[in-house]
Amino acid sequence: MSKSITASAHEASEDRDVSRRRFFKVLGGASTVALAAPIMSDEAHAGESKDEARKSRYRETDHVKKFYSTNRY
Amino acid sequence: MARMKFLCDADRCIECNACVTACKNEHEVPWGINRRRVVTINDGKPGERSVSMACMHCTDAPCQAVCPVDCFLTTADGVVLHSKDLCIGCGYCFYACPFGAPQYPKTGNFGSRGKMDKCTYCAGGPEADNSPEEYAKYGANRLAQGKLPICAEMCSTKALLAGDSEMIATIYKERVLKRGYGSGAWGWKVAYRETIAV
Repeated sequence: MSKSITASAHEASEDRDVSRRRFFKVLGGASTVALAAPIMSDEAHAGESKDEARKSRYRETDHVKKFYSTNRY
Repeated sequence: MARMKFLCDADRCIECNACVTACKNEHEVPWGINRRRVVTINDGKPGERSVSMACMHCTDAPCQAVCPVDCFLTTADGVVLHSKDLCIGCGYCFYACPFGAPQYPKTGNFGSRGKMDKCTYCAGGPEADNSPEEYAKYGANRLAQGKLPICAEMCSTKALLAGDSEMIATIYKERVLKRGYGSGAWGWKVAYRETIAV
């Protein structure tokens, strides 16, 4: 009798362990997703702004052409 | 696509340092930082040479290669810019640069030197063109205004050339063909009255 009570208590404690592990697994997964989301969105944002920052700024305006012509003297 | 470059005609540079002053004034560069410097060899002797130096906007920039936070970017027209928001002031770029271009506003060790500052080819930074934020961090964005770097534009002897590399190389070739180079240049013997080969 006492043996069967001990066995059932052991099973119950195993179930509790498994559920606790599952809880931490879910918690870990959720926190990873929560942390990764803003980082990924930042990367996407940085990518967009980097494309904008890498654009060519030089234009051959009249001002620039005048500079080239005065340097030929 | 045009590729931006500086070229200093050492036969014309008279070490007036006006390029250094103009740069500091245009960008309100803080005390202790010179984005451009004039280097003179054989100072005071016949055959002395001066050359105006700043960031050379390298194609394969060593500063960019060593930066641990990847704060450098090369624009489509070949200008090497950096982000002061990302810079941690570690000083690696200073050690990597063969021209001594990166400068720091404070003296100190890792992290306490402040954000790195260098020549931007008068092209601002990663912020919106000609915005107050861009001016406060990097100075004027003359390239976006359809102009060229102030150091080259105001050079009185036209020693410092800036702009499209093909164009300034052509101008320099024309000069060398016309006047010669070094001790073979027009006026050399009049200036020094002796034969000094450079």
